[in-house]
Amino acid sequence: MIDNIIHAAFVMTTPILLAALGGLVNRVAGLVNIGLDSMMLAGALVGLMIASQTGSWPAALVAAALVGGLLGLLMSLTVTRLQANEIIVGLGFNIAVAGLVRFFLKSWYGTSGTLSLPDVAMLPRIHIPVVADIPVLGAIFSDHDPLTWAAWLLVPATAWFLARTRLGLRLRAAGAAPQATRALGLNPLNLRDASTVFAGMMSGLAGAYLCIGVVGIFNEGITAGRGFLALAAFYFGRNRPWPTAIGALLFGLFDAIQIRLQGRGLPAELVQTLPYVMVIVILTLVAITIKRARNKGA
Amino acid sequence: MSMAEFTPDTTIRLGAHSVTRRFGALVANDGITFRARRGTIHAIVGGNGAGKSTLMRILQGMDRPDEGVVLVNGMPSVFFGPADAFKQGIGMVHQEFMLVPGLTLLENLVLAQEPLDGLRRIDRRKALEAARKLEREAGVTLDWDMPVDDAPVHVRQIVEILRLLYRGADVLILDEPTAVLAPAQVQELIVLLRKLRSEGRTILFISHKLDEVMALADEITVIRSGKVIGGMATANTTKAALAEMMIGEILSRPNARPSTVGRTVLEIRGLAATDARRVLRLKELDLDVRAGEIVGIAGVAGNGQDELIAAVTGLGRVERGAVRLDGQDVTKLSLRARRELGLSYLSPDRAAEGLCLSAPISENLIAGRHRSPALCKGGVLQKGAIKRHVETLLDRFSVKRASAALPISSLSGGNQQRVAMARELDGSPKLLLACQPTRGVDIRGIAFIHQCLLDYREAGGAVLVISEELDELIALSDRIVVLYDGRVTGEVPRGSAKVEELGRMMLGETRQEIAA
Repeated sequence: MIDNIIHAAFVMTTPILLAALGGLVNRVAGLVNIGLDSMMLAGALVGLMIASQTGSWPAALVAAALVGGLLGLLMSLTVTRLQANEIIVGLGFNIAVAGLVRFFLKSWYGTSGTLSLPDVAMLPRIHIPVVADIPVLGAIFSDHDPLTWAAWLLVPATAWFLARTRLGLRLRAAGAAPQATRALGLNPLNLRDASTVFAGMMSGLAGAYLCIGVVGIFNEGITAGRGFLALAAFYFGRNRPWPTAIGALLFGLFDAIQIRLQGRGLPAELVQTLPYVMVIVILTLVAITIKRARNKGA
Repeated sequence: MSMAEFTPDTTIRLGAHSVTRRFGALVANDGITFRARRGTIHAIVGGNGAGKSTLMRILQGMDRPDEGVVLVNGMPSVFFGPADAFKQGIGMVHQEFMLVPGLTLLENLVLAQEPLDGLRRIDRRKALEAARKLEREAGVTLDWDMPVDDAPVHVRQIVEILRLLYRGADVLILDEPTAVLAPAQVQELIVLLRKLRSEGRTILFISHKLDEVMALADEITVIRSGKVIGGMATANTTKAALAEMMIGEILSRPNARPSTVGRTVLEIRGLAATDARRVLRLKELDLDVRAGEIVGIAGVAGNGQDELIAAVTGLGRVERGAVRLDGQDVTKLSLRARRELGLSYLSPDRAAEGLCLSAPISENLIAGRHRSPALCKGGVLQKGAIKRHVETLLDRFSVKRASAALPISSLSGGNQQRVAMARELDGSPKLLLACQPTRGVDIRGIAFIHQCLLDYREAGGAVLVISEELDELIALSDRIVVLYDGRVTGEVPRGSAKVEELGRMMLGETRQEIAA
């Protein structure tokens, strides 16, 4: 029972974590990406289509990352070159992509809402012998897919990238002081665009994960606002990769609990709101703790 | 214009030839020509709005002229961005520093030219070596791992200068570099700049502080209203002649006539206060300001001035002690209640706190007075009465405007400050707390504002002036109180204050120590 919940929590964390790391890098470079959810949705649909067409999950992931990255680039250019407001553009992308997906499903497949395709290549699960039989540890480490492993390896990698590499330093500079960065002969807008493309790719992967890692079919509500949970995760982590991962894991855990609680007499619609209610509760608690610490300290 | 007009000349390191830049109807630069010789310090001098900053932006590649060219080594050059200027060895230290918050001093130093190791990581050891080498050259020692946000202003400025050297610049453009420094730090900067000149670097120095210009520059170009008024060697001119060129006339100095000192209006006892991060900034302060008296507060920024302002206005927290206004304890009263008791407050930050830049001049002028029954009846603003009131005030304070209905951002900084001043002196307050009253205001505006303060004092007003301009404090104050590290290090009466002595007191020495 507890092992099941732990395992499910990691499964539900992966999409949030992937998108959160993308959004984190994006925000560090100076753009708060409200449109993560749209890139996730597009990645989910394209991931499923390619997984069915080619029967190859790596091809599906590449395609999902590409379409997410492309949406990220479009969004970024609208914000950085046309000086549109990033909040409005992000919201616009969420609404527009949802509409386009619905239209595409109807006109291409003649279905509404749900798409189920034959021969979908699902992500393989990596079974680790011995470890798999240890309680708790087995649930944490065994029978996860490559994308989950990649997401967690990306946490230290992102921290290292931002702190120690040239591009990381420049992204931080572009976000914190675009004018100063420009005065040094760097182009903060290019840097910001690059970070949004990265966020788009990560969100695309997150979307594909939902389709070919978890359920195997596409539904227009498949993201269920997980792009916003990702947003909450890097706000929770205040742009630091490890705390952001903890935030993502926390939201993933509540998502897993929510699934467990369904069909136990409680109204499903109410239970499904659990992760989102917890976002509000957790972010409020974090804000209160910070305020307390500030009042007490120094 | 043909290239034949120009010949390569490496002794002319940087210059401008007939540079014109327009913004709509405004001509910010009107045919500006000057030449800075290699290995010299060249000052560009002018008042607010003279076009200095526009010219600097053009020389540094942040902006391009509509007509005319930038000269590098005597030849025309076109810069499409700061990177192009940098390739020619030209770098700039901006007035608002261009360091990236959240990064350490070392990260800021190497940003955009980071040394990499074999694994393409930033090579910290190499970066630190380069930093230490620059330190030795400049004769300073810095803690390179300090986040920029914690570094004092003069350290940030040194990092900016070292960064230009790190990146190989041999022309340094400095925009009002001394505006943020204490006198002793100004001296250090002057020493550093002379050292850089002796190493063959060229320095372009923008300022309206004529003492520093006379002390530092080899040659001077004066601009006014976008035009070059004159260029000369420093040896061939005087401060008075420069001032006349800058403003086009000789202003009479504000005149502080003796006035009778009356009862105590502001009385501060044992005041201790913390800043927003709960650090104790004011430790133990006693201060009196009496009617008919101007008391000046001198101090390097961050020594308790902000907390003093917050305590007098009620905008911040007081830990201990009492603030009395005209005999009444106001320590726990709100700003509104204090204002009703006769407090006026001229904010140090005109753009963010003193005015609402997007609101009309008229609304800015009545803000805070809008509850008076003459201007507002039953919650409805009385348009006619407000208009008459506003026009009278604007005329009295000689505010140049097209219409009082325009946003106040359409006015120059000097005129904005006149509006703020008019509002705060309206309604005969008992105490005026004037913070940085002439920040970003040119010579003419400064004289006007000083006269306003002196007139108010003569009429029996009490003024507490907090300013980073020592000349201003000396000209205005009946007493100058020096703050250092949250305490008073001394008090100097009118007539006996000297900049050098005040400067040392601002860095923590008492008057007795200086005399000894």
